[in-house]
Amino acid sequence: IPDSGHKYYLQFTTEDYKNGENAGSCLATVLYRRTKFPPVVNIKCMHTKDQKQIQEEDNRLYQKIRHQTKPIIGNNIPDSYGHIEPALEPAWALAVAGSSYIMWEKSTESLGYFLAQVKSVKQWIRKDDFIEFDYTVLLHEIPTQEIISCHMRLTWLPGHPLKVKYFCASENQGLEDGSGMESGSAAGILHGKGANF
Amino acid sequence: MRGLVLLAALVAAAAGTETFVGHQVLRIIPTSDEELQKVQELQDLEELQLDFWLAPRGLGHPVDVRVPFPSLQPLKAHLEANGVTYSIMIEDVQELLDQEQMEMLRGRRQMPVTTNTFNYASYHTLDEIYTFMDLLVAENPNLVSKLEIGRSTENRPLYVLKFSKGGTNRPAVWIDTGIHSREWVTQASGVWFAKQIVLDHENDEGLASVLDKMDIFLEIVTNPDGFAFTQTQNRMWRKTRSKQSGSACIGVDPNRNWDAGFGGSGASGNPCSETYHGPYANSEPEVKAIVDFVKNHGNIKAFVSIHSYSQLLLYPYGYTRTPVPDQKELHEVSAKAVAALSSLYGTNYKYGSIITTIYQASGGTIDWTYNQGIKYSFTFELRDTGRYGFLLPAKQIVPTAQETWLALKVIMLHARDHL
Repeated sequence: IPDSGHKYYLQFTTEDYKNGENAGSCLATVLYRRTKFPPVVNIKCMHTKDQKQIQEEDNRLYQKIRHQTKPIIGNNIPDSYGHIEPALEPAWALAVAGSSYIMWEKSTESLGYFLAQVKSVKQWIRKDDFIEFDYTVLLHEIPTQEIISCHMRLTWLPGHPLKVKYFCASENQGLEDGSGMESGSAAGILHGKGANF
Repeated sequence: MRGLVLLAALVAAAAGTETFVGHQVLRIIPTSDEELQKVQELQDLEELQLDFWLAPRGLGHPVDVRVPFPSLQPLKAHLEANGVTYSIMIEDVQELLDQEQMEMLRGRRQMPVTTNTFNYASYHTLDEIYTFMDLLVAENPNLVSKLEIGRSTENRPLYVLKFSKGGTNRPAVWIDTGIHSREWVTQASGVWFAKQIVLDHENDEGLASVLDKMDIFLEIVTNPDGFAFTQTQNRMWRKTRSKQSGSACIGVDPNRNWDAGFGGSGASGNPCSETYHGPYANSEPEVKAIVDFVKNHGNIKAFVSIHSYSQLLLYPYGYTRTPVPDQKELHEVSAKAVAALSSLYGTNYKYGSIITTIYQASGGTIDWTYNQGIKYSFTFELRDTGRYGFLLPAKQIVPTAQETWLALKVIMLHARDHL
């Protein structure tokens, strides 16, 4: 759109992350403006599942997590061989949802992301009914091919939107072998919607 | 008889446990009828829970019996009292089991014995893959040979398998996997391809006809330093492991290091970047080795470089929007190859030139090979589309390799038909 930006018209189908089944289709427009970020998005989706079904599945996931006898802790999900421990699947599912929010916020007209791996997860037990997890997630950035490490704090209760706060640092600043050493500080400002900690 | 009943009573009082801790295996060789009878009688004493590995057969034939710990003292006393000689074959059965268990675990990561017992549905170490190559050659010396085309930065050998039914410097197909080390499904697929060629080279019409006229070169671990690094230090490592002067960062993107639009848009000049093109074209020995090989061979007709992930089949160019002269033909071949691929499991692939299908990338492999005159230059991006990405579950290795092979055959057959 001359002097304004680029407008994209999208039609796509979605699939259930767990079993690959068709979950619905969407129509969307995305307008990248020359002078303002983020883009303007209009989207309309047709879900294959109805609200009731979705609610039931959410509740099942919630109960699964609540009924653990110990706080969930894990590393490398999936592992190097693509394997996910069944006990860590619920934590992984939430990580997928939470990091999609990060990726949505970070994406630009020329930068896209995939979730490469959940490097670590730690559950915080709360006095109220909310579930809370601390994650380190690795995002694969296209086309730069960089692996971006993000710290993500996620809170959830079925029927409420996921609350995500995050801070990302690039893995590559003068790094040597071995584990990522972030150039940012862990006490950095966390972005995200929801109440401040 | 009374003695036996007493024995049984003693043992019953000291009931056994579940494990084999303290169990021994005794060997008795009866040399007289009396001895033989005594040993045979032992079989009737259920309370002793004796486990005969070698049952009594006759005079002079060894009898081996596993004796649970609580039965040991009573049994030995009984044997000695009756003049039956025995020796201790295994001092502690559990110890032996533990040892064996350890070896088995070690053994699972150890060298396979034949390419028929090799596990194609799992990811392997560099050593296991090198062993596999040697086994394949040893088992099929008339078809397969191994060439060393150079050495990596860390001095690892760069091996290429050559599949040939004869001739001299026949027109050839080149396939490489693992140029980006974190793309594990590619090296794993390369191993599968190698075995498949051996299995099918006579009974598969298409493959047989290709090998009648052409050789196939397959480099399975194109970036061995990177591959070793993904196994020991960082699963997400992509580049080579060369040191860069003036920087603490290591490695060059081997798919930006070729002499085609080198250093242009679509690569980074920053050594810390994942798409760093390197100080100059062919600076990486892993790349130079292939360049030298291709130039020296002079008769390569199809060149396929395999990556993951995204499910794409790509042809040149990546460094420029100018279409290649053979665009139409390459597009048609891609369509056919993708159709063949999808026919197996319904896997969806997109295809097109690099720059129009993914993004601009300069200094790429197939841009260079195409410019060398190798018309059928293709790059694959294998499964999946991002759900597991680089961490593709091992159970998808074989299906991925199988479907990709169908596409490769389309490309090879087309090359053969257009020699």
